[in-house]
Amino acid sequence: MSALLELKNLSFVYGQGTPFEKKAVSDVSLSVNKGEFIGIIGHTGSGKSTLVQMLNGLIKPTEGQVILEGEDIWKKPKEIRKVRFRVGMVFQYPEYQLFEETVRKDIAFGPSNKGLKGEELDKAVERAAAFTGLKSDLLDSSPFELSGGEKRRAAIAGVIAMDPEILILDEPTAGLDPMGREILLSQIVNYHKERGNTVLLVSHSMEDIARVADRIIVMNQSRLFAFDETKKIFARGDELGQIGLQVPQITRIMQRLRGMGYDVPDGVLTVDEAFSAVCSLLKKEGRIW
Amino acid sequence: MVRDVSFGQYFPGNSLIHRLDPRAKLLIFIAFIVIIFCTFNYAALGVTAAFTALFLILSRIPIKFYFKSLKVIIFIVLFTSVINLFYGVGDPIWQWWVFKITWDGIHRAVMVTIRIICLILSSSCLTFTTSPTELTDAIERLMSPLRAIRFPVHEIAMMMSLALRFVPTLMEETDKIMQAQKARGADMESGNVIKRARALVPVLVPLFVSAFRRAYEIATAMECRCYRGGSGRTRMKTIHMGRRDVLAFIAIALVIGGVIVCNIFLGKTV
Ligand SMILES: Nc1ncnc2c1ncn2[C@@H]1O[C@H](COP(=O)(O)OP(=O)(O)OP(=O)(O)O)[C@@H](O)[C@H]1O
Ligand SMILES: [Mg+2]
Repeated sequence: MSALLELKNLSFVYGQGTPFEKKAVSDVSLSVNKGEFIGIIGHTGSGKSTLVQMLNGLIKPTEGQVILEGEDIWKKPKEIRKVRFRVGMVFQYPEYQLFEETVRKDIAFGPSNKGLKGEELDKAVERAAAFTGLKSDLLDSSPFELSGGEKRRAAIAGVIAMDPEILILDEPTAGLDPMGREILLSQIVNYHKERGNTVLLVSHSMEDIARVADRIIVMNQSRLFAFDETKKIFARGDELGQIGLQVPQITRIMQRLRGMGYDVPDGVLTVDEAFSAVCSLLKKEGRIW
Repeated sequence: MVRDVSFGQYFPGNSLIHRLDPRAKLLIFIAFIVIIFCTFNYAALGVTAAFTALFLILSRIPIKFYFKSLKVIIFIVLFTSVINLFYGVGDPIWQWWVFKITWDGIHRAVMVTIRIICLILSSSCLTFTTSPTELTDAIERLMSPLRAIRFPVHEIAMMMSLALRFVPTLMEETDKIMQAQKARGADMESGNVIKRARALVPVLVPLFVSAFRRAYEIATAMECRCYRGGSGRTRMKTIHMGRRDVLAFIAIALVIGGVIVCNIFLGKTV
């Protein structure tokens, strides 16, 4: 499979040439395939947001290349906007980007910049709103009258409406209630399944990442610490612990059980998996409490 | 990026100039500005230019930041010097239609250019070496006698320091909002003036919304900590004049003396 997105020795330094110089990303190389769901984890300040902002040309790498379908995105700096339509980016706390009179108009901002008009535009807006679970009667109210969670949905819809091939979400569920997180996350998963596009999700919740990601990028102190399949990453619990991360609770419990001599499988990531593993173990050993 | 402007930025450091009492620095700065504009001949101007150079060296801030701050005002310098060039009196040495250049005009242009450059460099030196808090503190202390005539010194200083405090925050915010809108395909780099002005709407609206929100938040936070205005407040950091401040005052007195002597004994150039 040829890579959809390839990063070559990517580095970024904030405030280069000033006393406030700060290396945020150093020498990251990796490649992402079409249709993958990638999770990005890392301690706060490890460079996750900086890394993803380079992927759609919002900031220009101080060194290295971002290659989208075989072409360096900075080869023609004049056409960087085209890249931004192909690689959609939802920022950390995206609700501050809302500015229009109505939610509908705000969601339409991205796609109409892309060139959509009339019916096509309306359809894109409605579909994006539906994907994020925004109630349709909210579409004609002012974005500033929405609740925090609804604002978040509206902002995410504004990016999804551009129908990007690669969708990057930087901590989309931060600051939402547990129920809201759950729903938003499953909506993102559904969107990914239906559209078959590539998703990169930055999150601090190991549980969320474990549930949805095919592969995981682990950042540590501006460097790429690991990039591997979800199960393999979370099998390295000790190493993750050393860089201030944790494996999901349920994975830890199952590892502990294994350590105590019970024959449960390694690399269990979700509660459902754990439940069926424990059930089958109990059946095998014939013990019911 | 918006944040890259170096004009008016504070660079923490430990140089002689950094350690001066901010009140002394402010007074010296004001005196220096006045004296820059009271130079009537090249010798007097030379004295001020030499002292500007001395300040820059003593501040121990890389010279390239001073150049950056000059870059910002290069148009103002060009504009005023060209205007001055054509406003001279006396015999023209070159003339075309209503434009004429005289020796007087040339002298004026040169002097005004040097003056503006000295002005910018010395004010950069002040802001580079003094944190906004120190600066407002100094202003508050220097203006405190005005309290006698019921001038709200503390309130004004507090407003200034809050405003200064939010400059970097708002810049950061502008940057973030611009990035977010660019991610949605906003085009801010091309098009004519009107198109560009329109492209600012998606940035300005969220910026104002968040500025108001922040203003409310800070007001609430101040009230929660029982802030009730200036009377009876004590300070965490007190500032004191020391030996080096006295030396600095002597230095500025020398400059003033030097300029006056040059002005009196060497006549007027313009
Ligand atoms: N605009 C900026 N100017 C200067 N330094 C910055 C800027 N943005 C981030 N940094 C620095 O770069 C480093 C990486 O920041 P980044 O925002 O990429 O971290 P992150 O992994 O997204 O963290 P978090 O999980 O808290 O969002 C941090 O040390 C931060 O201080
Ligand atoms: Mg981040």
